[in-house]
Amino acid sequence: MTLLLLLFLPVVVACGLPLLPAESPWVRRTALLASLGQLALGLVAWRNPPEDLSLSWLPQLGLRLDLGLDGLSLPLVLLGALITAMAVLATPKAQSRPRLFYALMLGTNVGLMGSFLARNALLFVLAYELILIPTTLLVAIWGGERRAGAAIRFLTYNAVSGLTLLAAVLAFGWLNPGGVDFSFGDLAHHNLTLQQQHWLLALVLVAFGIKLPVVPLHGWQPLTYSQAPTPVAMLLGGVVSKLGAYGLLRFGIQFLPDAWSDWSSWIAAIGAVNAIYGALNAIAQLEMRRLVAYSSLGHMGFLLLALAAATPLSLQGVMAQILAHGLIIALLFCLVGLVDTKTGTTEIPELSGLLNAQRGLPFTMGLMLLALMAAAGVPGQAGFVAELLVFQGSWVAYPIPTLVCLLSSGFTAVYAVRLFNRVGFGRLDNAKANWASTNWGERVPALVLTALVLVGGIWPTFLTGLSEDATAPLALRSSDAVTVIAMAPPTTTSELSA
Amino acid sequence: MSTTTAPERTKAPLIPPSTHRYAEVIHRLEAGGSMLPDTPENLKQIIGIYKAYAVPMDFYWRDLLYIAERVFLNPLPAFKYFISNEYLDRPNSYAGDQSPLRIWRGTEKAHPELLAFMEWGETRRMPKLLHHLWHDRVNMEFAEACMQAMFWHQGMGGRFNDYLESDAYKANADRAIKAYFKGNPLMLGLYKLFPDMFLEQVRQLSTYANLGLFWEVMAPVFFEMSDIYDEGGFKGVPDAMDFLVNGIFAVAGRPIYHHVFIGGECFEIIPKSEGFTWLYEAALPYVEAVFYRTSPFRGTKSYNAQAGQVPGNQADFHYGILYADVYPVGSAGIPPTLLMQDMLHFLPPYLKEIYKQHRRGEEDELIQLGITFQRSMYNVTSAVIQALRCALLYPLDDTDPKHLQANRAFFEAQMDRFLRPEARLPDIQTQDYR
Repeated sequence: MTLLLLLFLPVVVACGLPLLPAESPWVRRTALLASLGQLALGLVAWRNPPEDLSLSWLPQLGLRLDLGLDGLSLPLVLLGALITAMAVLATPKAQSRPRLFYALMLGTNVGLMGSFLARNALLFVLAYELILIPTTLLVAIWGGERRAGAAIRFLTYNAVSGLTLLAAVLAFGWLNPGGVDFSFGDLAHHNLTLQQQHWLLALVLVAFGIKLPVVPLHGWQPLTYSQAPTPVAMLLGGVVSKLGAYGLLRFGIQFLPDAWSDWSSWIAAIGAVNAIYGALNAIAQLEMRRLVAYSSLGHMGFLLLALAAATPLSLQGVMAQILAHGLIIALLFCLVGLVDTKTGTTEIPELSGLLNAQRGLPFTMGLMLLALMAAAGVPGQAGFVAELLVFQGSWVAYPIPTLVCLLSSGFTAVYAVRLFNRVGFGRLDNAKANWASTNWGERVPALVLTALVLVGGIWPTFLTGLSEDATAPLALRSSDAVTVIAMAPPTTTSELSA
Repeated sequence: MSTTTAPERTKAPLIPPSTHRYAEVIHRLEAGGSMLPDTPENLKQIIGIYKAYAVPMDFYWRDLLYIAERVFLNPLPAFKYFISNEYLDRPNSYAGDQSPLRIWRGTEKAHPELLAFMEWGETRRMPKLLHHLWHDRVNMEFAEACMQAMFWHQGMGGRFNDYLESDAYKANADRAIKAYFKGNPLMLGLYKLFPDMFLEQVRQLSTYANLGLFWEVMAPVFFEMSDIYDEGGFKGVPDAMDFLVNGIFAVAGRPIYHHVFIGGECFEIIPKSEGFTWLYEAALPYVEAVFYRTSPFRGTKSYNAQAGQVPGNQADFHYGILYADVYPVGSAGIPPTLLMQDMLHFLPPYLKEIYKQHRRGEEDELIQLGITFQRSMYNVTSAVIQALRCALLYPLDDTDPKHLQANRAFFEAQMDRFLRPEARLPDIQTQDYR
């Protein structure tokens, strides 16, 4: 029941929103209540893990409503519900066409929850594709000046991602002797040859590489992140992109471990390139959202490195980084959105002195300093814990890519300091500084996210505790030496659930 | 029944219009106006801030004289801001019944709002030391920063600074130093070893006295301006400026001196007989040092002197209130921080009402009052410029074109100082600058 509620609560609310009067404050409140309700359900599921659910849906297509929660998906469900709630809170009260906006936000949430809860690859693909429609509409209708281009690019890239994933999933069935019923348990026990696994892994890498994204499949990301309205950017950066990492963990490491081991050195190298490319581009950016977008791209390189290493520690690092980065990037987009709302621009050369206590945005900039420090991996915040696990876990397998990623982590501090120095310090132009300060309603989402980033920094179990048992069986190498353990029998779903 | 009259013929100007970038301001000065445009709101703002400025100023001048005359060379002057009752009750020399030269209508005692603030502060009634440690007090640091600016810049006209280097001054200071440290072999030994160190301290204390005597005049002036405005007396900004000009001339010749009281004896370090006068030895150096020059403010903005970000010549310094960025992140000018905080306690209600209506209302009152203060100081500077023109050049209604041209050249030379991009003169021409 909990699983069904997690999935269908936003569906019901999204369908019910058009029945409310357009100007009613209850549109926003209802959307918020739905996302908070979903978060509460997620917490209930954490305390009392629900049984897996399997319902017949379209037997002609082999499609079943297989839902379940394990250590990999529960953190993402909680993250998705939380970021959705914060995104709704971060939406201006005077949002135009609110019923459609919030319905589409909840629609995106449904796709995300479907993907995380799915225990069936076809259902996963269906939910994965579902995200595309509302998100594209959100960008196309409420985005910035270049929203049309951003929406088309997002749609194109992610449609390719979805189709590639569909091809991979179908190929699982076609290539596997005797076929599979597309349940995760079945996929984990396939009888594919190594060469077939390589082909499938190539498709999986392309599909989730676009979603994560990974260089050179990242073409949609900077433009979409910079043009999307703030709440949508929070969702995209905070949760949707994390679906890429989750997919690689499930489909790459869990279902295709041999091929993953074979190619992991290349994947690690791509991760290192990703990290450096993202960080260097972030340094060169003159617009805050694009800077955050490239920063995110760089951090996805760390994820890829940790996935490639696939040691118990690095996989814990993956889950920690998914959560930490999800919170940090959503916080950064939230704060950049506040700067945009108040000052009317996010162009770095046009901003300075925002830390000014009387006429600047001291609260926003204070939190931004914390968020940038968290992104740069400063101790005491969630980013540090995640990066430490990633680097320490990956070092035994791929020392050189790890060093490159460490270097790029240093570059993170460069663009963080550069951004803050230019935007926060300096002289506030009195002629331009004619904006209101932020109110508590606007501050709440940023405060909640900041609090969680700090909690993650001083209580690392917050980031790894939920997934520790689930990631350990997926490890392909040991953490203390370069010992390949990929040949061990594949783990089963029940083991994962344990 | 209506009658048609011929339009009055306007008098042709005797000299052609100025082509200066601030021609409009120059023409306004030539017509007897101020650099600050004459609008009802400007008048309200500047009078309101004069009142808010006068209350802490009433403390500044008393404490400056207390430090110069009583604290003197105390090696650990931890309590120099804890003014004695004698100085708190010291009658103002230019206001009140007991004043030797009553020019202004106020009382000779410290202002009641100041006394109430000293007792209660922003917080609650508590011992003076706790108010001090909680920083719930008047910021004497502002007054000392102004004094330091005057002391450091020097060379701004007058004979005061030359006198500080004279043998007569050194002899007077020597007597006072020896008397102050009488029976203290350690300090006397130090004085023997490093005579210039103590002498320099005494010179600084003479500047304390100089500024204290300057503000002793200004505090009752500003109080009276506030009273006149409340009575509906000022009709425009030029009226307020004229009041200041008249005030300047009324006290121009009052003495600037430095007396020190040690063991009941008065040591005249700068005797009144030297003939140093208020206008030339205090007012003009003060305006030059504090309104125009001061020094790069030690705020959050760093200046790289080696990269030429600070002028090599002290006379080119431009960090005073007339150029200041009032945001308290530093960048320029002494007043933006501490004085603004002091004035905030004493704003008249009508000024608070104006601030509520603009920008962030009460939230950024501090900034709005800083900009008001900037406007008001442009008006004070206008008064000084007009007073100088009056003293050195020709009347504004002179009919000799050569004289008018001389006045024009004087005004243009004054306006040249505001051609720097940092100058706020263009900003204060509009009411939007808040």
